[in-house]
Formats: sequence, C-alpha cells, structure tokens
Amino acid sequence: MKITLTVNDEKREVETSPTTRLLDILRDDLHFTGTKEGCGKGECGACTVIMNGKLVSSCLVLALQADGAEILTIEGLSKGDQLHPVQEAYIETGAVQCGFCTPGMILASKSLLDRIPDPDEQQIKRGLSGNICRCTGYTKIIEAVKLSARKLAGKGGEEDE
Amino acid sequence: MKKRGQGMATIMFGFGYGEGFPDHSIVSIEFEDESLLIRTAAADVGQGVLTVITQIAAEILKIDPDLIKISQGDTHLTKNSGSTSATRQTFFTGNAVKQAAEELLGKIYHYASLEFRSNHPELIVKDGHIFRHDDPENKLSYWQLAEIVSQKGEELKSEASFFPATDAPDAATGQADNVYVAYTFMTQKVEVEVDTVTGEVEVIEVNTAMDLGKAINPRNVEGQIEGGTVQGIGMALMEDQVIQNGITLNPDLTGYLVPTAMDSPHFKTSLIENEDADGPFGAKGVGEPSMIAAAPAVANAIHDAIGVRFYELPITPDKIKKALKDKIF
Repeated sequence: MKITLTVNDEKREVETSPTTRLLDILRDDLHFTGTKEGCGKGECGACTVIMNGKLVSSCLVLALQADGAEILTIEGLSKGDQLHPVQEAYIETGAVQCGFCTPGMILASKSLLDRIPDPDEQQIKRGLSGNICRCTGYTKIIEAVKLSARKLAGKGGEEDE
Repeated sequence: MKKRGQGMATIMFGFGYGEGFPDHSIVSIEFEDESLLIRTAAADVGQGVLTVITQIAAEILKIDPDLIKISQGDTHLTKNSGSTSATRQTFFTGNAVKQAAEELLGKIYHYASLEFRSNHPELIVKDGHIFRHDDPENKLSYWQLAEIVSQKGEELKSEASFFPATDAPDAATGQADNVYVAYTFMTQKVEVEVDTVTGEVEVIEVNTAMDLGKAINPRNVEGQIEGGTVQGIGMALMEDQVIQNGITLNPDLTGYLVPTAMDSPHFKTSLIENEDADGPFGAKGVGEPSMIAAAPAVANAIHDAIGVRFYELPITPDKIKKALKDKIF
C-alpha cells in the first residue's frame, strides 16, 4: 500500500504495509534516524515524534494511522544551522549525556512548552515522565526546559514551530 | 500521613582495574590539515571523556579546543585505551593525553628553538603559535612548524602510554600496598518523605560532597553525580529483577521500573577538589562512586522517617506498608 505523510514540512509518499510502524517508516524508508528505537512497546519514549501536534510513540503508530498525518521529528526542529531554542537550552545546561533519549526528550519538551509556555517544576516533570533517561538523573533536563521557556518567551511569537 | 526523614551514607571507591591487572591507555597526537588530531580508543558513552581530554590537550598545548579533533574507537587507527568501565577513563586516558601533549609541547619548543635560533626559556606558546618573547610578531603556527619539521624528514607528533602499576592482594590476607591507583570519596545526605498510607517514598533532596581531586569539567561531573544518584535511588526504591527458574519475569519497563523525571530529587552538590598526586591535573574518577551511597542513605532516611530498618532492596511500597502494619500490631 501507498501512504502519504508530511514529515518536517515535506510531503512524502511511502510504499509500505499496513502493519509497518511509523518508527520504521521514519528510520528505514525516510532515513530520519534521529528518532530512536528503545523498548519498541511504548514504555521508554525514545521514539517520540510529534504527529498532528500531539506527542506520540512512533513505535505504537501503524502506517495506516500515519496516512495523511503531519509529523515533526528531531530533524525538523532546527532551521538550517539555526538550532531551536529548546535544542540550544539542552546544550547550554549540559542536559545531554549519551544522547539516546535526547531526540524524544527534546520533542516532549517542545510539546510541553507549546501547551504550557511557562510550566512549573511539577508540570515539567509530568511533561517529561513518558521519556526515560538513564544518564542524567533528569536534573539538567528539567533545567533545560526552564531555560527553553525563558528563551521562547524572550523571542515572543517568532517561534511558531 | 506523610513522614519526613534524613539519612546519610559515606563511600570510598578504588577505581581502575587495580589488583595487579595490567591497565593502561595509549594516546597519540599529531597535526592534520587545520586541526590537531588525538587518537584514542577511549569510548565516550556520555560520561564526557572526549570533552575532558580535549580540555586537557588544549590546556597543555595552549590551543583553541575547537581545533582539536578526536579519532576514536577504531582498531585501525587507535591503540588500546582500555575499557570505559571501572571509572577509569578520565584518570587513565586523561593522563595519557596529558603526557602525549607534554611530549608534543617539548618537541614544539625543540624544533622552534632551531628555527628561531633561540633557547627554550626565550620562547612563548600562545593560541597555537610559538614565538620569541622579544619578537612576538615573528611567530610560527604549530602547523607551519609541523610542515618545516616534515621537510627535514622528521615528524611533529607524539605518543604516550599511561601504565601505572598496582599490586595483587595477598591470597591469604587480602592485603596489598597499592591495590588501586587512587580512591574517590563521597558523602550524601538525603531527605525523604514516606507516605504511610500508600507506602510510597519520595526523595526530596540530595546533598552531595564528593572528593574528586579536580573537576576538569564541573558541569559534566555534576551530571555524572545526578545521573548516578538517581540510578542509586532506583536501586533503593523500585528496581527489582524478578528471576524464576532462570527466566526474568519482568523483562520490560512496565514490570521493571526505573526512575522517571517524577522521581528526580533536588540536588545540592559540593565538589571537593583535593587534588590527587597522580591524577591528570589532580582529577579522580567519578562515574561509579556517584551511585553507591544513594541506597544506604535512602534506607537510613526511611528509618529516620518511620523507625523501620530495611535489610533488602528495593524498599517498595508493599514492603513499607507491611512493615508499618507489623510494627503497630
């Protein structure tokens, strides 16, 4: 079967099967390997992408469900060489260690800040609770989200994506 | 009802393979195009060894860290650096890089003194250049010097191996003079809140003081301590691999819980820079030591909060509820 989906603002057609996971379409067919596979059963958040504005585990989304969808992966967050403020904040706070959770964690952070631009600590923790990180103890990731909120507020309405 | 308690634990950790095992790291440094190439097999799994050795080389050679490239983990291109384990890379590969950088610096002085017809003490290195102190405008970049050296049929490069000896413990007594290259020390105080109805334990705050010799990259070190401690909290409160007849019954993250952001406490961290005589710039390892104190400190804090002493990990809500019930009746 053929499905059409928009990935990072670009329309793509993929020949696939109904039971292929969105994760595999992104990684194997479209080569967006920034999206990681951790547990493969929706428990760890490594494969997180934003689909139609909502945070999803791409290992739990089937090709058919992704037909016609708009997907944002980590590759779509920066504009050319210009990193997204959330990405900048992760670097500046030292919130990245091994980096495996980072793409999902950054997208979860962005999704949280889209919904709640100025989250308190508990909201940040809840917003990130679907993404497991084994290296950082989350401290610097939580710090990065706070810094992201300040960066995004400073830039006003410029950051629409 | 929620009850608060505080607990403390102190640990020491001998790092490196130790006990007489051969343990070493080999590093080489050379100039390449516009950059300085460090060859090492040290694996950076997120702990930051490549950041640390870049800082060390930049410090010794007085060069912009952005000009440093690392060729890592390729058996074709690099020699043995030993494993990323035993909390050893900063100490072993850090020392090997420091020695290789010092040797290269010595060669830079040597060949430059021939070019400038001057003595070593008359020369100054700065920003990847060498010049006579009385004629700073007439300077040679390291890369220009490398080219001059290669025209002589020689090479401006260096290699070093850091290979400290340790002693195997005596079989009868278990004692030896020098079992490990050095020891890292840490004390942690944690504050917990125990919910006596649900049995849940929340770690509110962790205060850490670690004697790590020297924090070459303080933010990296903090990240190691925070990450290790949260792993330790996981061991203390939730992580439990259930094995029956050789089969793991909870081989997933629904059955085997690890800490999430919801379990992350507040950290206050003091880095005690009591420089180690043998560490690179005095630095010692911090990886594994950072996770050892959490479990005993949490167990002590739970005892302080509800008066129950636990001798088995993890201290799960059901164990706490049962203990509180046994205590009352």
